[in-house]
Amino acid sequence: MSTVSIEPLIHHHQREIRRFRFKSSAFGPAPLSCRPKSRCDGGRLCSFKSPRRALAVVRAAAVVETFDTTDVVFRETFPLEWTDTVEGKIFVKLDKGKNEQNWQLTVGCTIPGKWILHWGVSYVDDVGSEWDQPPTGMRPPGSVPIKDYAIETPLKKASSTGEGIDLYEVKINVKSDSAVAAINFVVKDEETGAWYQHRGRDFKVPLVDYLHDDGNVVGAKRGFGLWPGWRAFGQLSNILLKGEASQSKAQDSISASSDPKQEDSSLEGFYDELPLVKQLPLHNSVGVSVRKCRETAKNIIYLETDLPGDVVVHWGVCRDDAKNWEIPAAPHPPETILFKNKALRTLLKQKEGSSGCSELFTLDEDLAGFLFVLRIKENIWLKYMGNDFFVPLSKSSSSVQSNKDSEATHVSGKGEQENEDVSGSAFTDGIINEIRNLVSDISSVKTGKTKTKKVQESILQEIEKLAAEAYSIFRSSTPTFSEEAVLLEEATKPPLKVSSATGSGYEILCQGFNWESHKSGRWYMELKEKAKQLSSLGFTIIWLPPPTESVSPEGYMPKDLYNLNSRYGTIDELRDLVKNFHEVDIKVLGDAVLNHRCAHYKNQNGVWNIFGGRLSWDDRAVVADDPHFQGRGNKSSGDNFHAAPNIDHSQDFVRKDLKEWMCWLRKEIGYDGWRLDFVRGFWGGYVKDYLEASEPYFTVGEFWDSLSYTYGDMDHNQDAHRQRIVDWINATNGTAGAFDVTTKGILHAALERCEYWRLSDEKGKPPGVVGWWPSRAITFIENHDTGSTQGHWRFPGGKEMQGYAYILTHPGTPAVFYDHVFSHYQSEIASLISLRNRNKIHCRSIVKIAKAERDVYAAVIDDKVAMKIGPGHYEPPSGPQRWSQALEGRDYKVWEAS
Amino acid sequence: MEISVIGSTQAKFVKADSAYRVLGFCSSRRYDDVLSRNSRVCLGQPSIRLRRLGLRLTVRAVHTEPALPARVSTDRSAASAPSRSRPNNGVRLYVGLPLDAVSEANTVNHAKAISVGLKALKLLGVEGVELPVWWGIAEKEAMGSYNFSGYLNLAEMVQKAGLKLHVSLCFHGLKQPKIPLPEWVTRIGENEPSIYFSDRSGLLYKDCLSLAVDELPVLDGKTPIEVYQDFCQSFKSSFSQFIDSTITGISMSLGPNGELRYPSDHGQSRNLKIPGVGEFQCYDKNMLALLKQHAEASGNPFWGLSGPHDAPSYDQTPSSNGFFKDHGGSWESPYGDFFLNWYSSQLASHGARLLSLASSVFSDADVAVYGKVPLLHPWYRTRARPLELTAGFYNTERRDGYEAIAEMFARNSCKVILPGMDLSDEDLPGEALSSPQSLLRQVRAACRKLGVDVSGQNSSDRRVARGGFEQLKENLSGQEGSVDLFIYERMGAYFFSPEHFPSFTAFVRSIYQPQMDTDDIPDEEVVGAEESVPMASESGVHMQAA
Repeated sequence: MSTVSIEPLIHHHQREIRRFRFKSSAFGPAPLSCRPKSRCDGGRLCSFKSPRRALAVVRAAAVVETFDTTDVVFRETFPLEWTDTVEGKIFVKLDKGKNEQNWQLTVGCTIPGKWILHWGVSYVDDVGSEWDQPPTGMRPPGSVPIKDYAIETPLKKASSTGEGIDLYEVKINVKSDSAVAAINFVVKDEETGAWYQHRGRDFKVPLVDYLHDDGNVVGAKRGFGLWPGWRAFGQLSNILLKGEASQSKAQDSISASSDPKQEDSSLEGFYDELPLVKQLPLHNSVGVSVRKCRETAKNIIYLETDLPGDVVVHWGVCRDDAKNWEIPAAPHPPETILFKNKALRTLLKQKEGSSGCSELFTLDEDLAGFLFVLRIKENIWLKYMGNDFFVPLSKSSSSVQSNKDSEATHVSGKGEQENEDVSGSAFTDGIINEIRNLVSDISSVKTGKTKTKKVQESILQEIEKLAAEAYSIFRSSTPTFSEEAVLLEEATKPPLKVSSATGSGYEILCQGFNWESHKSGRWYMELKEKAKQLSSLGFTIIWLPPPTESVSPEGYMPKDLYNLNSRYGTIDELRDLVKNFHEVDIKVLGDAVLNHRCAHYKNQNGVWNIFGGRLSWDDRAVVADDPHFQGRGNKSSGDNFHAAPNIDHSQDFVRKDLKEWMCWLRKEIGYDGWRLDFVRGFWGGYVKDYLEASEPYFTVGEFWDSLSYTYGDMDHNQDAHRQRIVDWINATNGTAGAFDVTTKGILHAALERCEYWRLSDEKGKPPGVVGWWPSRAITFIENHDTGSTQGHWRFPGGKEMQGYAYILTHPGTPAVFYDHVFSHYQSEIASLISLRNRNKIHCRSIVKIAKAERDVYAAVIDDKVAMKIGPGHYEPPSGPQRWSQALEGRDYKVWEAS
Repeated sequence: MEISVIGSTQAKFVKADSAYRVLGFCSSRRYDDVLSRNSRVCLGQPSIRLRRLGLRLTVRAVHTEPALPARVSTDRSAASAPSRSRPNNGVRLYVGLPLDAVSEANTVNHAKAISVGLKALKLLGVEGVELPVWWGIAEKEAMGSYNFSGYLNLAEMVQKAGLKLHVSLCFHGLKQPKIPLPEWVTRIGENEPSIYFSDRSGLLYKDCLSLAVDELPVLDGKTPIEVYQDFCQSFKSSFSQFIDSTITGISMSLGPNGELRYPSDHGQSRNLKIPGVGEFQCYDKNMLALLKQHAEASGNPFWGLSGPHDAPSYDQTPSSNGFFKDHGGSWESPYGDFFLNWYSSQLASHGARLLSLASSVFSDADVAVYGKVPLLHPWYRTRARPLELTAGFYNTERRDGYEAIAEMFARNSCKVILPGMDLSDEDLPGEALSSPQSLLRQVRAACRKLGVDVSGQNSSDRRVARGGFEQLKENLSGQEGSVDLFIYERMGAYFFSPEHFPSFTAFVRSIYQPQMDTDDIPDEEVVGAEESVPMASESGVHMQAA
């Protein structure tokens, strides 16, 4: 009996160091044991200390195989990157000081780490929700001012609670006679860069009776202590700035929080706790070495890892390169159980004197490989780049193969979605890595389809980004050689793919506001009253005005995207409104202004291009080609809107923030989809990105540019115009529809000048977008810009019903303007909608144009509905159907087949 | 000891990296290739097994040193033995760089855009790019004074991006963007217009030299062939550092627009819906002298006085004059046969001169030499096929004019580039009796017969028509024989525009799709894999299936 020293394969992995170092000292032959050994339970030990080397000594009982180090045939250390979840809590306490004049606010946290309180105050006479810096006297030592509106104070380790838990806290003294109305804060984790907010909003501790009356955000509740929702037991949503892992997990299920503490106006102390989940990215490694026993030719595998806690190896062997798992012959290591006859599970032995654990496996010589995955903490599975770890075993001792290159190991976490997230975020490690991952993904034929797709997706996104950049540079620097552009281009039928963009296909949209709606200040409440009525009129989708804080009252000059208190109402009223619409089965579209954003601050040149609020971007977020705003971003991927800084969507951080914002809106407000403002301003590929992230039920983009005219007369052929819209839809990959501006323009000309022949294109199809890509065309005749009190491009007066008779009987998704719904046209519109629903006309219905002459246009849709507009005569032919007139109005008629 | 181990590990790692850079993520098939030849894999195994093994070995291959030479040697064998077709249908995809990528002042135009674009292409899995090297830029000022600096910079960018390079040596000029012939050549041409092609009315074509002066010492005592040869030599020595690695192919410009043809269409109006037939270009002094000589030698001196008198003009249809009439046209007369034979053989000899020049210059380098044959599809469905006749291809309903051309390529071990692979018959107006598909089929058959590798291109500088990608896919699918290389023209604003780039991406992916499609896995394998998957009941995670 002798001992053998096994070189430790562990070192504490750091991202940069991907290679393991080996010693090559030789030891004499040694017998090995398979004796069960009591496992020393290290509990949940995490070691983050400096690398250590440990000597593992294994005593032998029976003679087994002997070897010396020259027989090492394979060695590899695989980095393991995974995310641990640490649970703790944040507590907020408001105490009375020594006398009634002094109060003390304590914010603490029970998870170790570098915590920072990022805070500011609101003064009694403040308007709006901006933060201000607290008076100097309030600032605890160690505070650092951030810009001119916040303070950052580190949490200090406080005396232990006695339960062995460390506390980190900060205390803020408040004089109750100061002008401070409330303290606002978020908690920041400096190590991970994560912000912890309260249900997506800043924490707010009011200190005096809130001055504003009902109608204010939460002033209606008039509560002291924490804000409504505070007591609702829900995990803090952890807005991870890197990686989006935890967002989805934050439970918001309990929102019934309208139990404000009805206190009278004296300040009361309180204590509150909130559960906190912190995601810790961890780097560990697993080392494997294979030796060949000289006497028995068996393979001896030594596996060790520095993972904390109990580590279970789920393993098997394979006989060929197909890597089909098999159970090897006994003996198996101690603590091994058979799992469903398909694999073995071995609990690794804790190493003596150091953290981590290891195990020896002895395998027959005729095996091709050793396959395994690791499990820690009951349900976290670690894999190698999404695959099983594979250790090749040499059949003949000469050739050794390694299929490893030391790339980052991807972790398959608790569930599928996390798996994807992690591998997705690893993209930043570099393009080449991804390519390599993909190669290996493609290579391993058994790779799950989803994974491959995910990686491909991220590569494609990168490609798209590069292409967009190349496009913008080429476009601005080259004379393009498009003079001879081949105009043979026929409109091809885009794929008829049912996608989320079109909703059910039977949608009827209502624009739920006009240019004046902001005036009352309580539009959300007013519209709420009409929800039932809109539903009974047959609308399935409502488009609400832009919800964000805006420089202009109508909302199209957004400033702080996360501030949803606007001239239309408060965030709570908005939530309530959305809830009301959902109750009557109407889906709700949020009006998202993504093209531009108004700045909070000026740069050194006095130009407004520095943003504040939660998305505090700098001038890199502004496109470079609008001299007014001196952006430092890339050139715009579309047209510029000149009244505000145009956002540079080619910047990763901008897109990430916008995606997060849209997801937040979906979740917080309950929006089902989007109306996207001014999408001419940026590339449709980015829209695709946003929509894939926010997964809307229905989306419509506003791509509005001018039709073509010759000497003031509108051209009959508007193919170029609709082509531009279709191109945009294409760029979004069909994830969004677009307003059919072409159809509106042609209707103008046709109705105004009695030129109904315009309503058929050269191929006898509708001449607008609806003729080419009906499922993506949102037909309309008026909106807040074209009509209402702006009247930029008003539909011919008195002929609106002809327009509605057209769009409400034709394919595409019709949109009805608020002003028309609530006008004397209401009953006519309602009849058209109910006729559309009755006959199940949908966005892909087939339209056959029967007549397109000077004074009459007539068409038959799906062989079920016939219609005509214009003063001329038309009667549907008596064919297989018997037509009966269903509706008649000024210069229009509609028939139904019976 | 410890350090040396680490050192070598890192070195290998770097190599692995570069090997993959070269590969792109879609080229795994080519590794199969390497492996099936270089490793002891039993070829009798089921293909799935082979692929799987191959792929696993692949990863190893990038770790070990022999991997790179092994791969290069495959390229070599393919390059130096053009008659042997590639063992699979894996087409190598290249994208053309902007025509004006290097300015007249020898600087790189839109360098930033190109470098970003190269990255995108690399990620997409494109193998390389095509770079036009213009005579009028690199030898602009005086004979023998070469300046390749702009092109060298570009080649370096390409190399850094991990892409391959296909160089087109352009001895022709261009109208759009304006790239003329070298200034010193233009000066000679002012005094001696007969160095250019001329049509019946004396209209000169100044964007390339007439093939009749190939071997006349018209350029300050040197023949154009000698000047071209010097240019190629100089190019070769200037690019020696790239030639065995980055540069994989050279296209030799053979005439107008680089194509083997007469500029028979240069007087045509642009944007005609139905192109006219073009005109014969045999009216410069030297062409006429050759014609006269030939007529006298064949015993019909009167036939050598001029070109056909009854040919239509540029924009006219075949039947508007006597020569190309379907029935009773002069083309079928003994005179017609005499003339067309001579006219087309002049073109073929010109092609042979240039290709043999190029293949001798590059014979000791690992590059394949290519020449471009135009796809003259309008009027293909007439009996006379006048557009081909005026361009110099004696290819009528009864006579295959492309076998001679293919034979000429085969003799010089060169490969043919065929443009217009995106064109389908349906796309074109019926009145022109056009049939790009049939013509392509004919040329490809001739090449196949003579063992000439075919490479493809889309219709030059025109936007790929809608539906064009479908046609491309079909043409590259290998049903008509393999396509060795495909050059997609060309990078620029439109190329990266939202209107175009997504469909190009889809196209590239679809070419490579078969390799990653799970349909490739035989059914029983899939079933087997499913069976062996244990379900971790508590977490529902597939562990082995990954």
